Amino acid sequence: MRSLFTVISFTIKDMVKRKSFIISNLIILLIIVIGFNIPNWISGVTTEATKITILDNEDIFEGRLESLHDQFLELGYDVQVDKTSTRDQIQEKVKSGEMSSAIILTETDSGIFFEYLIDSMGLGTTAPTEVINAIQLTYQNMQLEKLGIPEDKLPTLNMESNISVTSLSSDETSSNILVMMLLSIVLFYAIYFYAYQVSSAITVEKTSRIIETLVTSTSPRIIVLGKTIGIGIVGIAQTIILILVAVICAQVFLPQETVQVIFEMMKISPQMIAIIAIYYLLGYSLYAMLYALTGSTVSKPEEVQSANGPVAILAVIGFYLSYFTMMNPTSSLNELAAIIPISSPFCMPFRVMMGLSNINEILLSIAILIVTIIIVAHISIKIYSSAILNYGEKINLKKMFKMYKSKE
Amino acid sequence: MGLKVQNVSKSYGEQLAVDNISFEMNKPGVFGLLGTNGAGKSTTIRMILGIIKKDSGTISWNGKEVERKYVNFGYLPEERGIYPKIKINEQLMYLAKLKGMKKKEAEESMDYWLKKLEVEEYKYLTAEKLSKGNQQKIQFITAVIHNPELLVIDEPFSGLDPINTELLKSAILELVEKGTYIIMSSHQMASIEEFCTDILILDKGKTILQGNLKEIKDSYKANRVELITKADVSKEIKDEGLIIIKELDNRYEIAINDELQAQNLLKKLVSKNIEIEKMEVKKPSLNDIFIEKVGDK
Repeated sequence: MRSLFTVISFTIKDMVKRKSFIISNLIILLIIVIGFNIPNWISGVTTEATKITILDNEDIFEGRLESLHDQFLELGYDVQVDKTSTRDQIQEKVKSGEMSSAIILTETDSGIFFEYLIDSMGLGTTAPTEVINAIQLTYQNMQLEKLGIPEDKLPTLNMESNISVTSLSSDETSSNILVMMLLSIVLFYAIYFYAYQVSSAITVEKTSRIIETLVTSTSPRIIVLGKTIGIGIVGIAQTIILILVAVICAQVFLPQETVQVIFEMMKISPQMIAIIAIYYLLGYSLYAMLYALTGSTVSKPEEVQSANGPVAILAVIGFYLSYFTMMNPTSSLNELAAIIPISSPFCMPFRVMMGLSNINEILLSIAILIVTIIIVAHISIKIYSSAILNYGEKINLKKMFKMYKSKE
Repeated sequence: MGLKVQNVSKSYGEQLAVDNISFEMNKPGVFGLLGTNGAGKSTTIRMILGIIKKDSGTISWNGKEVERKYVNFGYLPEERGIYPKIKINEQLMYLAKLKGMKKKEAEESMDYWLKKLEVEEYKYLTAEKLSKGNQQKIQFITAVIHNPELLVIDEPFSGLDPINTELLKSAILELVEKGTYIIMSSHQMASIEEFCTDILILDKGKTILQGNLKEIKDSYKANRVELITKADVSKEIKDEGLIIIKELDNRYEIAINDELQAQNLLKKLVSKNIEIEKMEVKKPSLNDIFIEKVGDK
């Protein structure tokens, strides 16, 4: 047991002291901080009011538009009313860049006709609907006043419909499909990334030949388990730190209303957190054991990619089996993906959150995953014990089978 | 007491790697395990260390069957290996702890050996920054840091310059004086002759020669003469019916069947007033014995 703690502690220290680990974490943290500041920067850039000239040379509004200046400013538009220019003059000014944009008002039998002039339409450029709506409302009120309707009755005629949206679904999670799909992707990358680290660590020990000294000091089983647990702890700690930093950044940099909306969307119960944590740990353990096996078969660093290929393919199949069936979560393929060990860590948390799996299905999925991990760990450690001392000839499946059957 | 290997065999599939070997180490000292590449030395060493299981026979230490978790052995493998990107003190501490040492005693032992092998200045450097020779000395420390009862060293001097070779030799002698049992595997026969009291030569997994090194050498008759003179004596040698094995600047290595032939040659040279700087009758070296036993197969 003491040896196991020694290997775990050494693995953790080795990982967190690596320059690549420190730099990649700093970059991720920087991206998080920058990401949460982008909305502020965008709003900061757009705080300067957009200048619009309104041509009312027919004086349709009888000077009322000038009184709307402050209201337009609040909406982000610096509106100037021009009563003297002609349409052609305004058009020329917009074209030459003297004016950024203009709205030309013309009264017709059916009401006001709005002509919005802009020099060039950039991506995402739209007509200033808030300004047009306000002008439209002012015009309606003027017409109603002319019909003799008292001013205090006007708001009721213009009353907007208040719409309340109520979900009739049995749970509140159906709107979180996107969040859960995102979570599945994160789970996949976290499991895959950290499991791959186990392979790297084992490959380093084998190719640097330190393994011969190590196995005289402790058993191969302790080395594999110690590495797997150590890297798993680093993974959990790193994930928690990144989530905490993201939450703090959200609180500090985003408006409170936005934070509330995000937290509402991400609202996950403690039970759900437990399910995600269980599947993360089990998924990581499964893939870490598979990677321990492939890592031990490598004699030279350049063989790492090809040796790890089959596990990578298995992981990708597992992920896509889960991911694509999420589009149709009630399908039997999605149910299957939640049971098969290679895909269940990415799929079952999604189904649980969607309320599609009952406790029996969850327990069955976890039981199958645990049994698979035990079998894979047994095979991996047995082959690892022989493979780590085997250099030169490439270890193929046949040789692996022989190693498994041997007495080592 | 000590190490006892009895009738040990090991096969890898159809291939017999070690075939029924037996030897004993009853007192501290250096035991030489010799053989060509692929003779079964590494397999024998790994079985003694408990890294791989034997098919048959027994390996016992102080009367008890060897199991990795119950023994306190040290190992310097032939293929050198240390963590390239980890500081020397950290990896030495890690391996010492895996061997069951406490931090304080590991620290003391580490400092002692770093100083002894003159590498204390590299304690806080990563291994990749060290020369090959210094890396080798660090790896020797990983094998002895926990004061093992039995130490297995495979080609300990390969790649070391003469000064560092002497440094390592003094460390090995110190360990022997402290009562350590050492198994040395090497192709450098001079080193084996210098340190080992007993040897075992393996060829294709079988023991082809074993026993006390002095007794083995004594069992061989003198078979050559080393002669250094001031003049060219090749004619005199040939006149005596002897064959010159090597000749360079009046230095001769001459084959003889018995010591009488050497005496007759000496008499002849003296009668001709030829100045002789050195004349030594020699028995076969371990190198000669090794080649004789293994070379022709």
